[in-house]
Amino acid sequence: MIPRAGLGLALALAGFAALALQPGLFAPLLALVNDPGQAVIYDRQALIVLAGWHLVLVAAAGAVAASVGILLGILVTRARGAEFLTLARMISNLGQTFPPIAVLAITVPIVGFGFAPTFIALCAYGLLPVFENTVAGLRGVSAPTLEAARGMGMAPTTILARVELPLAAPVILTGIRLSTIINIGTATIGSTVGAVGLGEVIIAGLQSGNPAFILQGAVLVALMAIAIDLMLRMLGRGRARGD
Amino acid sequence: MIEIRNLTKRFDGATAVDGLSVEVPDGEVLALVGTSGCGKSTTLRMINRLIEPDAGQVLISGRDASAMPVEQLRLGIGYVIQGVGLFPHWTVAQNVGTVPRLMRWDRARIDARVTELLELFGLAPAEFATKFPSELSGGQQQRVGVARAMAAEPSVLLMDEPFGALDPVTRARLQSEFAAIQRRRRMTVILVTHDMDEAFRLADRIAVMDAGRILQIDTPERLLRGPRDGFVRQFVGLDDRALRILSLHPVSDAARPATPGRWSVDGGVVRDLGRDAAPEVTPLAPTDTLREAASRIIWDDADLLPVMGNGVIESELAAADVWRAGGRQR
Repeated sequence: MIPRAGLGLALALAGFAALALQPGLFAPLLALVNDPGQAVIYDRQALIVLAGWHLVLVAAAGAVAASVGILLGILVTRARGAEFLTLARMISNLGQTFPPIAVLAITVPIVGFGFAPTFIALCAYGLLPVFENTVAGLRGVSAPTLEAARGMGMAPTTILARVELPLAAPVILTGIRLSTIINIGTATIGSTVGAVGLGEVIIAGLQSGNPAFILQGAVLVALMAIAIDLMLRMLGRGRARGD
Repeated sequence: MIEIRNLTKRFDGATAVDGLSVEVPDGEVLALVGTSGCGKSTTLRMINRLIEPDAGQVLISGRDASAMPVEQLRLGIGYVIQGVGLFPHWTVAQNVGTVPRLMRWDRARIDARVTELLELFGLAPAEFATKFPSELSGGQQQRVGVARAMAAEPSVLLMDEPFGALDPVTRARLQSEFAAIQRRRRMTVILVTHDMDEAFRLADRIAVMDAGRILQIDTPERLLRGPRDGFVRQFVGLDDRALRILSLHPVSDAARPATPGRWSVDGGVVRDLGRDAAPEVTPLAPTDTLREAASRIIWDDADLLPVMGNGVIESELAAADVWRAGGRQR
Protein backbone atom coordinates (compact mmCIF):
# COMPACT_ATOMS: atom_id res chain seq x y z
CA MET A 1 0.00 0.00 0.00
CA ILE A 2 2.66 2.50 1.06
CA PRO A 3 4.75 2.19 -2.13
CA ARG A 4 1.62 2.58 -4.25
CA ALA A 5 0.48 5.64 -2.34
CA GLY A 6 4.06 6.92 -2.54
CA LEU A 7 4.03 6.47 -6.32
CA GLY A 8 0.68 8.25 -6.62
CA LEU A 9 1.98 11.10 -4.52
CA ALA A 10 5.16 11.40 -6.60
CA LEU A 11 3.11 11.50 -9.83
CA ALA A 12 0.66 14.08 -8.48
CA LEU A 13 3.50 16.29 -7.24
CA ALA A 14 5.44 15.96 -10.47
CA GLY A 15 2.38 16.83 -12.55
CA PHE A 16 1.56 19.75 -10.30
CA ALA A 17 5.12 21.13 -10.37
CA ALA A 18 5.39 20.79 -14.16
CA LEU A 19 2.10 22.58 -14.80
CA ALA A 20 2.65 25.27 -12.20
CA LEU A 21 6.29 26.03 -13.05
CA GLN A 22 6.47 25.31 -16.77
CA PRO A 23 2.93 25.71 -18.13
CA GLY A 24 4.46 26.39 -21.54
CA LEU A 25 5.21 22.69 -21.88
CA PHE A 26 1.48 22.02 -22.01
CA ALA A 27 0.64 24.78 -24.46
CA PRO A 28 0.24 22.44 -27.49
CA LEU A 29 -2.10 20.24 -25.49
CA LEU A 30 -4.14 23.12 -24.09
CA ALA A 31 -4.37 24.72 -27.52
CA LEU A 32 -6.56 21.81 -28.61
CA VAL A 33 -9.48 23.05 -26.51
CA ASN A 34 -9.20 26.71 -27.51
CA ASP A 35 -10.10 28.62 -30.65
CA PRO A 36 -7.07 29.37 -32.82
CA GLY A 37 -5.35 32.59 -31.89
CA GLN A 38 -6.71 32.63 -28.32
CA ALA A 39 -4.19 32.90 -25.46
CA VAL A 40 -3.53 29.45 -24.05
CA ILE A 41 -1.46 30.05 -20.91
CA TYR A 42 -2.73 32.33 -18.15
CA ASP A 43 -0.05 35.01 -17.80
CA ARG A 44 -1.48 37.77 -15.61
CA GLN A 45 0.18 36.13 -12.64
CA ALA A 46 2.64 33.18 -12.38
CA LEU A 47 0.68 29.98 -11.74
CA ILE A 48 3.09 28.90 -9.02
CA VAL A 49 2.47 32.14 -7.12
CA LEU A 50 -1.28 31.63 -7.36
CA ALA A 51 -0.88 28.03 -6.21
CA GLY A 52 1.24 29.22 -3.30
CA TRP A 53 -1.37 31.70 -2.14
CA HIS A 54 -4.08 29.13 -2.63
CA LEU A 55 -2.20 26.77 -0.36
CA VAL A 56 -1.54 29.47 2.24
CA LEU A 57 -5.24 30.31 2.33
CA VAL A 58 -6.28 26.67 2.74
CA ALA A 59 -3.57 25.95 5.31
CA ALA A 60 -4.39 29.00 7.41
CA ALA A 61 -8.11 28.27 7.37
CA GLY A 62 -7.40 24.55 7.94
CA ALA A 63 -5.23 25.30 10.96
CA VAL A 64 -7.98 27.39 12.51
CA ALA A 65 -10.76 24.93 11.62
CA ALA A 66 -8.69 22.02 12.97
CA SER A 67 -7.76 23.80 16.21
CA VAL A 68 -11.28 25.02 16.86
CA GLY A 69 -12.82 21.70 15.78
CA ILE A 70 -10.51 19.63 17.99
CA LEU A 71 -10.85 21.93 20.99
CA LEU A 72 -14.62 21.99 20.61
CA GLY A 73 -14.66 18.21 20.23
CA ILE A 74 -12.59 17.79 23.38
CA LEU A 75 -14.76 20.24 25.29
CA VAL A 76 -18.07 18.55 24.53
CA THR A 77 -16.76 15.07 25.33
CA ARG A 78 -15.72 16.13 28.87
CA ALA A 79 -18.25 15.47 31.60
CA ARG A 80 -18.64 19.19 32.24
CA GLY A 81 -18.94 20.11 28.58
CA ALA A 82 -21.57 17.56 27.61
CA GLU A 83 -24.34 20.15 27.75
CA PHE A 84 -22.63 22.13 24.99
CA LEU A 85 -22.71 19.23 22.56
CA THR A 86 -25.99 20.24 20.93
CA LEU A 87 -24.91 23.85 20.65
CA ALA A 88 -21.51 22.96 19.20
CA ARG A 89 -23.16 20.59 16.71
CA MET A 90 -25.54 23.32 15.67
CA ILE A 91 -22.73 25.79 15.09
CA SER A 92 -20.55 23.42 13.13
CA ASN A 93 -23.50 22.16 11.10
CA LEU A 94 -24.43 25.72 10.32
CA GLY A 95 -20.88 26.33 9.10
CA GLN A 96 -21.23 23.44 6.70
CA THR A 97 -24.79 24.00 5.49
CA PHE A 98 -24.33 27.71 4.95
CA PRO A 99 -22.95 27.94 1.40
CA PRO A 100 -19.46 29.49 1.37
CA ILE A 101 -20.59 31.88 -1.32
CA ALA A 102 -23.26 33.17 1.04
CA VAL A 103 -20.65 33.58 3.76
CA LEU A 104 -18.66 35.69 1.32
CA ALA A 105 -21.72 37.82 0.60
CA ILE A 106 -22.14 38.48 4.31
CA THR A 107 -18.50 39.00 5.24
CA VAL A 108 -17.31 41.16 2.36
CA PRO A 109 -19.28 44.21 3.53
CA ILE A 110 -17.79 43.75 6.99
CA VAL A 111 -14.15 42.80 6.36
CA GLY A 112 -13.71 43.97 2.77
CA PHE A 113 -12.49 42.07 -0.30
CA GLY A 114 -9.58 39.67 -0.60
CA PHE A 115 -8.04 37.14 1.73
CA ALA A 116 -10.12 37.81 4.86
CA PRO A 117 -13.66 36.92 3.72
CA THR A 118 -12.45 33.77 1.96
CA PHE A 119 -10.48 32.77 5.01
CA ILE A 120 -13.60 33.12 7.18
CA ALA A 121 -15.74 31.14 4.72
CA LEU A 122 -13.20 28.30 4.63
CA CYS A 123 -12.85 28.21 8.43
CA ALA A 124 -16.61 27.84 8.78
CA TYR A 125 -16.82 25.26 6.00
CA GLY A 126 -13.95 23.13 7.30
CA LEU A 127 -15.03 23.03 10.91
CA LEU A 128 -17.67 20.30 10.79
CA PRO A 129 -15.60 17.32 9.60
CA VAL A 130 -12.91 17.99 12.19
CA PHE A 131 -15.37 18.55 15.01
CA GLU A 132 -17.54 15.53 14.24
CA ASN A 133 -14.55 13.24 13.78
CA THR A 134 -12.97 14.47 17.00
CA VAL A 135 -16.18 13.69 18.87
CA ALA A 136 -16.50 10.29 17.18
CA GLY A 137 -12.84 9.46 17.79
CA LEU A 138 -12.92 10.39 21.46
CA ARG A 139 -16.24 8.61 21.98
CA GLY A 140 -14.77 5.52 20.32
CA VAL A 141 -12.24 5.02 23.12
CA SER A 142 -13.59 2.02 24.99
CA ALA A 143 -15.12 2.46 28.42
CA PRO A 144 -12.93 -0.18 30.13
CA THR A 145 -9.81 1.54 28.78
CA LEU A 146 -10.90 4.85 30.30
CA GLU A 147 -11.96 3.18 33.53
CA ALA A 148 -8.58 1.47 33.76
CA ALA A 149 -6.78 4.74 33.08
CA ARG A 150 -8.69 6.49 35.85
CA GLY A 151 -8.37 3.59 38.26
CA MET A 152 -4.66 3.43 37.59
CA GLY A 153 -4.23 6.97 38.86
CA MET A 154 -3.90 9.00 35.65
CA ALA A 155 -4.99 12.63 35.95
CA PRO A 156 -7.70 13.76 33.49
CA THR A 157 -5.20 15.74 31.40
CA THR A 158 -2.86 12.73 31.29
CA ILE A 159 -5.72 10.51 30.16
CA LEU A 160 -6.59 12.99 27.42
CA ALA A 161 -3.01 13.42 26.21
CA ARG A 162 -1.70 9.87 26.55
CA VAL A 163 -4.77 7.71 26.03
CA GLU A 164 -7.73 9.47 24.43
CA LEU A 165 -6.06 11.67 21.82
CA PRO A 166 -3.58 9.02 20.61
CA LEU A 167 -6.43 6.52 20.26
CA ALA A 168 -8.68 9.05 18.54
CA ALA A 169 -5.88 10.43 16.34
CA PRO A 170 -6.57 8.32 13.21
CA VAL A 171 -10.23 9.40 13.18
CA ILE A 172 -9.35 13.03 13.90
CA LEU A 173 -6.74 13.00 11.13
CA THR A 174 -9.35 11.69 8.72
CA GLY A 175 -11.52 14.67 9.66
CA ILE A 176 -8.66 17.08 9.05
CA ARG A 177 -7.92 15.41 5.72
CA LEU A 178 -11.54 15.66 4.58
CA SER A 179 -11.79 19.25 5.73
CA THR A 180 -8.58 20.18 3.92
CA ILE A 181 -9.34 18.60 0.57
CA ILE A 182 -12.87 20.04 0.57
CA ASN A 183 -11.38 23.45 1.20
CA ILE A 184 -8.79 23.16 -1.56
CA GLY A 185 -11.69 22.99 -3.99
CA THR A 186 -13.87 25.48 -2.18
CA ALA A 187 -11.08 28.07 -1.97
CA THR A 188 -11.45 28.74 -5.71
CA ILE A 189 -14.59 30.78 -5.04
CA GLY A 190 -12.44 33.19 -3.06
CA SER A 191 -11.31 34.64 -6.34
CA THR A 192 -14.80 36.09 -6.87
CA VAL A 193 -14.05 38.46 -4.00
CA GLY A 194 -10.45 39.13 -4.91
CA ALA A 195 -8.56 36.54 -2.91
CA VAL A 196 -5.37 35.55 -4.73
CA GLY A 197 -5.52 31.89 -5.68
CA LEU A 198 -6.00 29.37 -8.44
CA GLY A 199 -9.70 30.27 -8.67
CA GLU A 200 -8.54 33.40 -10.49
CA VAL A 201 -7.43 31.34 -13.49
CA ILE A 202 -10.70 29.47 -13.68
CA ILE A 203 -12.78 32.62 -13.36
CA ALA A 204 -10.70 34.38 -15.98
CA GLY A 205 -11.36 31.40 -18.26
CA LEU A 206 -15.09 31.55 -17.60
CA GLN A 207 -15.29 35.30 -18.17
CA SER A 208 -13.33 35.33 -21.41
CA GLY A 209 -14.59 32.03 -22.81
CA ASN A 210 -11.15 30.43 -22.57
CA PRO A 211 -11.42 26.66 -21.87
CA ALA A 212 -7.64 26.29 -21.61
CA PHE A 213 -7.55 28.68 -18.63
CA ILE A 214 -10.37 26.79 -16.95
CA LEU A 215 -8.61 23.52 -17.58
CA GLN A 216 -5.21 24.52 -16.21
CA GLY A 217 -6.77 26.09 -13.10
CA ALA A 218 -8.97 23.09 -12.44
CA VAL A 219 -6.20 20.54 -13.05
CA LEU A 220 -3.86 22.37 -10.69
CA VAL A 221 -6.51 22.45 -7.97
CA ALA A 222 -7.28 18.78 -8.48
CA LEU A 223 -3.62 17.74 -8.38
CA MET A 224 -3.07 19.81 -5.25
CA ALA A 225 -6.05 18.11 -3.57
CA ILE A 226 -4.87 14.63 -4.59
CA ALA A 227 -1.30 15.26 -3.41
CA ILE A 228 -2.37 16.63 -0.03
CA ASP A 229 -4.93 13.86 0.44
CA LEU A 230 -2.22 11.23 -0.16
CA MET A 231 0.24 13.00 2.13
CA LEU A 232 -2.25 13.16 4.99
CA ARG A 233 -3.24 9.54 4.41
CA MET A 234 0.39 8.45 4.69
CA LEU A 235 0.82 10.54 7.81
CA GLY A 236 -2.29 8.89 9.29
CA ARG A 237 -1.07 5.41 8.45
CA GLY A 238 2.31 6.11 10.00
CA ARG A 239 0.61 7.06 13.22
CA ALA A 240 -1.90 4.22 13.32
CA ARG A 241 0.50 2.01 15.24
CA GLY A 242 2.79 2.71 18.15
CA ASP A 243 3.35 6.22 19.49
CA MET B 1 -5.18 -3.23 56.18
CA ILE B 2 -8.36 -1.73 54.78
CA GLU B 3 -11.02 -0.44 57.15
CA ILE B 4 -14.38 0.44 55.72
CA ARG B 5 -16.65 2.26 58.10
CA ASN B 6 -20.30 2.89 57.56
CA LEU B 7 -19.87 3.43 53.82
CA THR B 8 -23.02 4.67 52.08
CA LYS B 9 -23.90 5.59 48.52
CA ARG B 10 -27.22 6.60 47.03
CA PHE B 11 -27.99 6.94 43.34
CA ASP B 12 -31.08 9.03 42.53
CA GLY B 13 -32.60 8.23 45.89
CA ALA B 14 -31.97 4.49 45.66
CA THR B 15 -29.47 3.24 48.20
CA ALA B 16 -26.74 1.25 46.49
CA VAL B 17 -24.51 0.75 49.52
CA ASP B 18 -26.07 1.05 52.91
CA GLY B 19 -23.85 1.76 55.90
CA LEU B 20 -21.37 -0.99 55.07
CA SER B 21 -18.49 -1.72 57.44
CA VAL B 22 -15.77 -4.30 57.06
CA GLU B 23 -12.10 -4.72 57.90
CA VAL B 24 -9.66 -6.52 55.66
CA PRO B 25 -6.42 -7.41 57.45
CA ASP B 26 -3.10 -7.33 55.59
CA GLY B 27 -2.59 -10.25 53.25
CA GLU B 28 -6.23 -11.33 53.20
CA VAL B 29 -8.33 -11.96 50.11
CA LEU B 30 -11.88 -10.83 50.77
CA ALA B 31 -14.52 -11.69 48.19
CA LEU B 32 -17.64 -9.55 47.88
CA VAL B 33 -20.32 -11.71 46.33
CA GLY B 34 -23.94 -11.12 45.45
CA THR B 35 -26.30 -10.67 42.54
CA SER B 36 -26.04 -7.78 40.08
CA GLY B 37 -26.97 -4.52 41.73
CA CYS B 38 -26.22 -5.66 45.27
CA GLY B 39 -23.69 -2.87 45.66
CA LYS B 40 -20.52 -4.93 45.52
CA SER B 41 -18.94 -3.07 42.60
CA THR B 42 -20.02 0.28 44.01
CA THR B 43 -18.33 -0.63 47.28
CA LEU B 44 -15.14 -1.54 45.46
CA ARG B 45 -15.15 1.62 43.40
CA MET B 46 -15.59 3.75 46.50
CA ILE B 47 -12.31 2.37 47.85
CA ASN B 48 -10.29 3.94 45.03
CA ARG B 49 -12.81 6.78 44.76
CA LEU B 50 -13.95 6.11 41.24
CA ILE B 51 -17.22 6.72 43.06
CA GLU B 52 -17.26 9.20 45.93
CA PRO B 53 -19.20 7.95 48.96
CA ASP B 54 -22.10 9.94 50.37
CA ALA B 55 -21.15 8.97 53.90
CA GLY B 56 -18.67 6.82 55.73
CA GLN B 57 -14.94 6.33 55.58
CA VAL B 58 -12.31 4.18 53.95
CA LEU B 59 -9.00 3.86 55.77
CA ILE B 60 -6.07 2.26 53.98
CA SER B 61 -3.20 1.45 56.34
CA GLY B 62 -4.80 3.90 58.74
CA ARG B 63 -4.93 6.77 56.23
CA ASP B 64 -8.25 8.28 55.29
CA ALA B 65 -8.69 7.74 51.54
CA SER B 66 -10.84 10.84 51.16
CA ALA B 67 -8.06 13.01 52.57
CA MET B 68 -5.50 11.91 49.98
CA PRO B 69 -5.16 13.45 46.51
CA VAL B 70 -7.24 11.11 44.39
CA GLU B 71 -4.52 10.27 41.83
CA GLN B 72 -2.05 9.64 44.63
CA LEU B 73 -4.50 7.26 46.28
CA ARG B 74 -5.11 5.31 43.06
CA LEU B 75 -1.41 4.97 42.27
CA GLY B 76 -1.08 2.99 45.47
CA ILE B 77 -4.00 0.66 44.72
CA GLY B 78 -3.91 -2.01 42.04
CA TYR B 79 -7.10 -2.21 40.00
CA VAL B 80 -8.26 -5.01 37.71
CA ILE B 81 -11.54 -4.87 35.81
CA GLN B 82 -13.60 -7.33 33.85
CA GLY B 83 -13.13 -5.58 30.51
CA VAL B 84 -9.36 -5.61 31.16
CA GLY B 85 -9.06 -2.15 29.60
CA LEU B 86 -5.56 -2.54 28.27
CA PHE B 87 -4.34 0.49 26.36
CA PRO B 88 -4.60 -0.69 22.75
CA HIS B 89 -1.97 1.71 21.44
CA TRP B 90 0.69 0.53 23.89
CA THR B 91 2.70 -2.67 23.90
CA VAL B 92 2.36 -5.27 26.64
CA ALA B 93 5.50 -3.89 28.29
CA GLN B 94 4.20 -0.32 28.13
CA ASN B 95 0.85 -1.42 29.55
CA VAL B 96 2.44 -3.24 32.46
CA GLY B 97 4.75 -0.29 33.10
CA THR B 98 1.90 2.25 33.23
CA VAL B 99 1.83 2.93 36.97
CA PRO B 100 5.62 2.82 37.48
CA ARG B 101 5.90 5.37 34.66
CA LEU B 102 3.29 7.57 36.32
CA MET B 103 5.29 7.26 39.53
CA ARG B 104 8.42 8.29 37.63
CA TRP B 105 10.49 5.20 38.35
CA ASP B 106 13.71 5.20 36.37
CA ARG B 107 13.79 3.30 33.12
CA ALA B 108 15.96 0.39 34.27
CA ARG B 109 13.78 -0.27 37.29
CA ILE B 110 10.62 -0.25 35.17
CA ASP B 111 12.14 -2.64 32.65
CA ALA B 112 13.27 -5.01 35.37
CA ARG B 113 9.85 -4.96 37.04
CA VAL B 114 8.02 -5.53 33.75
CA THR B 115 10.24 -8.50 32.92
CA GLU B 116 9.73 -9.96 36.39
CA LEU B 117 5.94 -9.65 36.15
CA LEU B 118 5.70 -11.09 32.65
CA GLU B 119 7.69 -14.10 33.82
CA LEU B 120 5.53 -14.41 36.91
CA PHE B 121 2.44 -14.63 34.70
CA GLY B 122 4.00 -17.08 32.28
CA LEU B 123 4.33 -14.59 29.41
CA ALA B 124 7.85 -14.97 28.00
CA PRO B 125 9.16 -11.37 27.91
CA ALA B 126 11.11 -11.92 24.69
CA GLU B 127 7.92 -12.95 22.92
CA PHE B 128 5.26 -10.82 24.59
CA ALA B 129 6.87 -7.54 25.71
CA THR B 130 6.59 -5.93 22.28
CA LYS B 131 3.18 -7.33 21.34
CA PHE B 132 0.07 -5.18 21.22
CA PRO B 133 -3.06 -6.16 23.17
CA SER B 134 -4.92 -6.98 19.95
CA GLU B 135 -2.39 -9.75 19.29
CA LEU B 136 -3.15 -11.53 22.58
CA SER B 137 -5.78 -14.12 23.49
CA GLY B 138 -8.39 -13.26 26.10
CA GLY B 139 -6.53 -15.13 28.81
CA GLN B 140 -3.24 -13.44 27.94
CA GLN B 141 -4.90 -10.02 27.99
CA GLN B 142 -6.33 -10.72 31.42
CA ARG B 143 -2.91 -11.83 32.70
CA VAL B 144 -1.44 -8.56 31.42
CA GLY B 145 -4.29 -6.73 33.15
CA VAL B 146 -3.45 -8.33 36.50
CA ALA B 147 0.28 -7.83 35.97
CA ARG B 148 -0.34 -4.16 35.21
CA ALA B 149 -2.32 -3.77 38.43
CA MET B 150 0.51 -5.33 40.44
CA ALA B 151 3.30 -3.38 38.72
CA ALA B 152 4.06 -0.78 41.37
CA GLU B 153 3.78 -3.32 44.18
CA PRO B 154 0.59 -1.87 45.61
CA SER B 155 -0.30 -2.96 49.11
CA VAL B 156 -3.93 -3.22 48.05
CA LEU B 157 -5.40 -4.88 44.98
CA LEU B 158 -9.00 -4.34 43.90
CA MET B 159 -10.43 -6.82 41.42
CA ASP B 160 -13.84 -6.41 39.79
CA GLU B 161 -14.93 -9.64 38.08
CA PRO B 162 -11.32 -10.10 36.98
CA PHE B 163 -11.81 -13.40 35.18
CA GLY B 164 -15.46 -12.92 34.24
CA ALA B 165 -15.05 -12.66 30.50
CA LEU B 166 -13.03 -15.85 30.05
CA ASP B 167 -14.04 -19.35 29.08
CA PRO B 168 -14.31 -21.76 32.04
CA VAL B 169 -11.04 -23.58 31.34
CA THR B 170 -8.97 -20.42 31.00
CA ARG B 171 -10.76 -18.91 33.99
CA ALA B 172 -9.91 -21.87 36.20
CA ARG B 173 -6.29 -21.77 35.08
CA LEU B 174 -5.96 -18.06 35.77
CA GLN B 175 -7.63 -18.48 39.14
CA SER B 176 -5.16 -21.11 40.24
CA GLU B 177 -2.25 -19.08 38.87
CA PHE B 178 -3.46 -16.08 40.80
CA ALA B 179 -3.94 -18.15 43.95
CA ALA B 180 -0.36 -19.40 43.64
CA ILE B 181 0.97 -15.86 43.15
CA GLN B 182 -1.07 -14.60 46.08
CA ARG B 183 0.31 -17.33 48.35
CA ARG B 184 3.78 -15.92 47.72
CA ARG B 185 3.04 -12.19 47.54
CA ARG B 186 0.40 -11.86 50.24
CA MET B 187 -1.33 -8.78 48.91
CA THR B 188 -4.46 -7.39 50.52
CA VAL B 189 -7.12 -8.12 47.94
CA ILE B 190 -10.77 -7.25 47.60
CA LEU B 191 -12.38 -9.31 44.89
CA VAL B 192 -15.84 -8.66 43.50
CA THR B 193 -17.54 -11.60 41.84
CA HIS B 194 -20.94 -13.14 41.29
CA ASP B 195 -19.31 -16.52 40.84
CA MET B 196 -19.45 -18.41 44.13
CA ASP B 197 -16.90 -20.97 42.90
CA GLU B 198 -14.42 -18.20 42.19
CA ALA B 199 -14.94 -16.85 45.70
CA PHE B 200 -14.42 -20.30 47.24
CA ARG B 201 -11.30 -20.82 45.17
CA LEU B 202 -9.59 -17.53 45.90
CA ALA B 203 -10.95 -15.94 49.06
CA ASP B 204 -9.91 -16.22 52.68
CA ARG B 205 -13.24 -14.71 53.67
CA ILE B 206 -16.42 -14.19 51.73
CA ALA B 207 -18.92 -11.39 52.30
CA VAL B 208 -22.37 -12.14 50.88
CA MET B 209 -24.09 -8.89 49.94
CA ASP B 210 -27.66 -7.99 49.15
CA ALA B 211 -29.30 -4.57 48.81
CA GLY B 212 -26.14 -2.72 49.78
CA ARG B 213 -25.47 -4.60 53.00
CA ILE B 214 -23.28 -7.49 54.05
CA LEU B 215 -25.61 -10.27 55.18
CA GLN B 216 -22.87 -12.62 56.31
CA ILE B 217 -19.10 -12.54 56.27
CA ASP B 218 -17.20 -15.72 57.04
CA THR B 219 -14.51 -18.11 55.89
CA PRO B 220 -15.65 -20.26 52.97
CA GLU B 221 -16.02 -23.31 55.19
CA ARG B 222 -18.05 -21.56 57.87
CA LEU B 223 -20.21 -19.98 55.21
CA LEU B 224 -20.93 -23.42 53.77
CA ARG B 225 -21.51 -25.04 57.14
CA GLY B 226 -23.55 -22.28 58.69
CA PRO B 227 -25.19 -20.04 56.12
CA ARG B 228 -27.81 -17.67 57.51
CA ASP B 229 -31.38 -18.35 56.49
CA GLY B 230 -32.79 -16.59 53.49
CA PHE B 231 -30.70 -14.98 50.78
CA VAL B 232 -27.32 -16.31 51.94
CA ARG B 233 -28.57 -19.90 52.04
CA GLN B 234 -30.04 -19.55 48.61
CA PHE B 235 -27.06 -17.74 47.09
CA VAL B 236 -24.36 -19.98 48.54
CA GLY B 237 -26.08 -23.00 47.04
CA LEU B 238 -26.23 -25.99 49.34
CA ASP B 239 -26.92 -28.81 46.88
CA ASP B 240 -23.24 -29.71 46.62
CA ARG B 241 -22.01 -28.21 49.83
CA ALA B 242 -20.22 -31.36 50.97
CA LEU B 243 -18.19 -31.38 47.76
CA ARG B 244 -17.51 -27.66 48.07
CA ILE B 245 -16.26 -28.14 51.60
CA LEU B 246 -14.00 -30.93 50.38
CA SER B 247 -12.62 -28.68 47.66
CA LEU B 248 -11.42 -26.27 50.35
CA HIS B 249 -9.07 -28.81 51.91
CA PRO B 250 -5.86 -30.35 50.64
CA VAL B 251 -5.37 -34.08 50.93
CA SER B 252 -2.75 -33.47 53.63
CA ASP B 253 -5.53 -32.26 55.96
CA ALA B 254 -7.10 -35.73 56.22
CA ALA B 255 -4.21 -38.08 55.44
CA ARG B 256 -2.87 -40.50 58.02
CA PRO B 257 0.52 -42.26 58.22
CA ALA B 258 0.86 -44.98 55.62
CA THR B 259 0.19 -48.57 56.77
CA PRO B 260 3.55 -50.37 56.73
CA GLY B 261 3.77 -52.89 53.86
CA ARG B 262 0.58 -51.71 52.17
CA TRP B 263 2.17 -49.91 49.22
CA SER B 264 5.01 -50.89 46.94
CA VAL B 265 6.87 -48.40 44.77
CA ASP B 266 8.86 -49.82 41.93
CA GLY B 267 10.26 -47.60 39.22
CA GLY B 268 7.49 -45.05 39.71
CA VAL B 269 4.73 -47.67 39.60
CA VAL B 270 2.72 -47.80 42.84
CA ARG B 271 0.89 -51.06 43.69
CA ASP B 272 -1.72 -51.68 46.37
CA LEU B 273 -0.51 -54.85 48.16
CA GLY B 274 -3.63 -54.84 50.33
CA ARG B 275 -5.89 -55.81 47.44
CA ASP B 276 -6.07 -59.00 45.43
CA ALA B 277 -3.57 -59.11 42.55
CA ALA B 278 -1.88 -55.98 43.91
CA PRO B 279 -3.37 -53.59 41.29
CA GLU B 280 -1.51 -50.54 40.12
CA VAL B 281 -2.84 -47.31 41.64
CA THR B 282 -2.20 -43.68 40.83
CA PRO B 283 -1.17 -41.92 44.03
CA LEU B 284 -2.63 -38.61 45.21
CA ALA B 285 -0.49 -35.54 45.76
CA PRO B 286 -0.62 -33.85 49.18
CA THR B 287 -1.79 -30.65 47.49
CA ASP B 288 -4.71 -32.26 45.64
CA THR B 289 -8.05 -31.26 47.11
CA LEU B 290 -10.20 -33.69 49.04
CA ARG B 291 -12.79 -33.15 46.35
CA GLU B 292 -10.41 -34.56 43.75
CA ALA B 293 -9.58 -37.39 46.15
CA ALA B 294 -13.27 -38.18 46.62
CA SER B 295 -13.73 -38.36 42.90
CA ARG B 296 -10.82 -40.80 42.61
CA ILE B 297 -12.12 -42.91 45.47
CA ILE B 298 -15.50 -43.20 43.78
CA TRP B 299 -14.05 -43.88 40.35
CA ASP B 300 -11.49 -46.46 41.52
CA ASP B 301 -13.95 -47.99 44.01
CA ALA B 302 -11.16 -47.73 46.60
CA ASP B 303 -11.34 -47.23 50.34
CA LEU B 304 -7.69 -46.26 50.73
CA LEU B 305 -5.39 -44.32 48.40
CA PRO B 306 -1.64 -43.65 48.74
CA VAL B 307 -0.35 -40.07 48.96
CA MET B 308 2.96 -39.52 47.26
CA GLY B 309 5.23 -36.55 47.84
CA ASN B 310 8.84 -36.15 46.72
CA GLY B 311 8.78 -39.59 45.09
CA VAL B 312 7.90 -41.53 48.23
CA ILE B 313 4.62 -42.68 49.72
CA GLU B 314 4.41 -40.34 52.66
CA SER B 315 0.89 -41.10 53.85
CA GLU B 316 -2.42 -42.58 52.85
CA LEU B 317 -5.97 -41.31 52.66
CA ALA B 318 -8.96 -43.32 53.82
CA ALA B 319 -12.37 -42.86 52.23
CA ALA B 320 -14.00 -42.70 55.65
CA ASP B 321 -11.79 -39.73 56.58
CA VAL B 322 -12.78 -37.93 53.40
CA TRP B 323 -16.47 -38.52 54.06
CA ARG B 324 -15.99 -37.26 57.61
CA ALA B 325 -14.19 -34.11 56.42
CA GLY B 326 -17.14 -33.24 54.21
CA GLY B 327 -19.82 -34.25 56.68
CA ARG B 328 -21.80 -32.08 59.08
CA GLN B 329 -20.37 -33.74 62.23
CA ARG B 330 -16.86 -32.48 61.91
